[in-house]
Amino acid sequence: MSTNASGPLLRVERLRTWFPINRGLMRRAVGHVQAVTDVHLSVEAGRTLALVGESGCGKTTVGRSILRLEQAQAGRVIFDGVDLLELDAAAMRPYRQRLQIVFQDPLASLNPRMRVRDIVAEGMRSFGIGSDESDRTDRVAHLFERVQLDAAQMWRYPHEFSGGQRQRICIARALAVDPQLIICDEAVSALDVSIQAQILNLLRELQDELGLAYLFITHDLGVVRYLAHDVAVMYLGQIVESGPTAQIFESPSHPYTQGLLQAVPSVDPQRRGGAPPLSGDVPSPSAPPGGCYFHTRCPLVMDRCRSEPPPVASQGAVSARCFLAPGSGSE
Amino acid sequence: MSRLLSVEGLTTRFPLAGVHVPIVDESTFAIDRGEVLALVGESGCGKSMTALSIMRLVPKPGRIHSGRVELLGRDLLGLSVTEMRAVRGGRISMIFQEPMTSLNPVMRCGDQVVEAIRLHDEVSRKDALARCRELFVQVGIPDPDARLRAYPHQLSGGLKQRVMIAMALSTRPELLIADEPTTALDVTIQAQILRQLLELRREIGMSILLITHDLGIVNELADRVAVMYAGRIIEQGERTDVLGRALHPYTQGLLRSMPALATPGRRLPEIPGVVPSPAEWPMGCRFATRCQLAEDRCRREVPGATARSDNHVASCHAVEEGRAQAPAGGEPEGAAR
Repeated sequence: MSTNASGPLLRVERLRTWFPINRGLMRRAVGHVQAVTDVHLSVEAGRTLALVGESGCGKTTVGRSILRLEQAQAGRVIFDGVDLLELDAAAMRPYRQRLQIVFQDPLASLNPRMRVRDIVAEGMRSFGIGSDESDRTDRVAHLFERVQLDAAQMWRYPHEFSGGQRQRICIARALAVDPQLIICDEAVSALDVSIQAQILNLLRELQDELGLAYLFITHDLGVVRYLAHDVAVMYLGQIVESGPTAQIFESPSHPYTQGLLQAVPSVDPQRRGGAPPLSGDVPSPSAPPGGCYFHTRCPLVMDRCRSEPPPVASQGAVSARCFLAPGSGSE
Repeated sequence: MSRLLSVEGLTTRFPLAGVHVPIVDESTFAIDRGEVLALVGESGCGKSMTALSIMRLVPKPGRIHSGRVELLGRDLLGLSVTEMRAVRGGRISMIFQEPMTSLNPVMRCGDQVVEAIRLHDEVSRKDALARCRELFVQVGIPDPDARLRAYPHQLSGGLKQRVMIAMALSTRPELLIADEPTTALDVTIQAQILRQLLELRREIGMSILLITHDLGIVNELADRVAVMYAGRIIEQGERTDVLGRALHPYTQGLLRSMPALATPGRRLPEIPGVVPSPAEWPMGCRFATRCQLAEDRCRREVPGATARSDNHVASCHAVEEGRAQAPAGGEPEGAAR
């Protein structure tokens, strides 16, 4: 696998994906759902970046825009030195092999009329991996072992498997074309805790063995703390804070990250209650507030936050979009 | 505190491939006035069916087979349909996971709550509406007058759940059954709703039966905890005991496998295998197929309850024989959370 030695495997710069709201007879755009506005992030080879945020913050759209499943309006998606947004369909094709995705609901992403062997082998056939069908069957058997499924079950249909097993099938399908980066979009969110632990362990083993990079899209901060090397926190289409996971969990600098971390109920019986939760709801992404997008819910809001968008302040490896963040020069 | 609800030997069976499978099997627990009991377990363990059995809303072809459900000493299973209807939504209310599917989409929120009030109380529409507005304020709905006239789709998920809570509280129930009340909500909204439930319980002294799969929410809200696995309650006790000094290998395994408690970079301790489907339930301890401590006796004999203290019991042969692992609990190994 060729990897550009200089810089990260994936770098997203100033990404913007807005969806038009069409109304009236002429279906004219009367506004936009501003799903993703100005997103920067980077994923290093062999590492995990978690993209966290609440529903509607745009995290799934970021993943889909990277894979060009949604059309971004602006920005760059640089994978291994090449801007994917500039490529035509034919030039994009090899990258579809190097970037794979695993979704939240495995049953919805597996064709119920196909045997799982064919589901896993489909991508190989499409990209010319394996000399013939029997070779591909051998490869599927190997992949099944790797994701800890019984290879004898590969001729069954998706509905014959449990939720955890189906997610293993989706992972095997992603691995089948030998990718460098897998986007996991809430890949463990629908699973029970005991099964979730099994899948998280599997993802970590695969990363160690194969040097995979993960863009892990999730709302579950417990999973992020355990799995991700780096984390980017999203709110209303923007990254509000990013940096190494341990550092962000230890001392979050953005008030939204602080509120988000405090909102997760602890399982430590000695601790409960704690700080008052963030008030209010997330504003609509079709009409984000002026100034700082978070000012309507921020406990530390100042006058200038209502009119002036804060710049991204960096200190060390941590960046935060807040006037009060260390390094913003205005604290 | 006085006893509000006591459930004894409750068994609810569903016919499955010709046999009657006890989806809820000999459940015994009690809730005092003002107390929050959490019924916790993974999907399919029977926790929701326990709630539906208490409400006598078990979907067909399921049937309550045996047991007693006493509310203030009166057996609900012996009530007539009419009597039960007065209890349901009256003395016991229920809120569900998905507020959108529980609210009528073509009826204004205020009208729905008014309907619920007038179903149980003979009051004028005007008085019911005034009471509804009070409830909206009580459950923390901002701008209540506008929300009375709003349709459900005009509200966010958090607000819809608050409307559901207002409706559930409208008849001043003694027991609120909350079935995964925050599972569909974002964490910051979940924190708001949990805080609201705690406040309401303090203000009006109602009891809550909380049904959840999330041990964090249990810790936040519950006084006592009952852990369910494959239809049976396998451990029960005070919140601090069950989460801090868990006895049953399943409870211990659940706590250990939580990523929030694990050390990053180290392998998560898994519970091997999957929850068996009801058709494959083993005859002895139902956890025996996944338990590292399982011996012959576990596979043959249903374990009885072993009490570690008055308030903390576990149904496990290993615990009874003193060969269980040291109590495991929710103290984080590394940094907090």
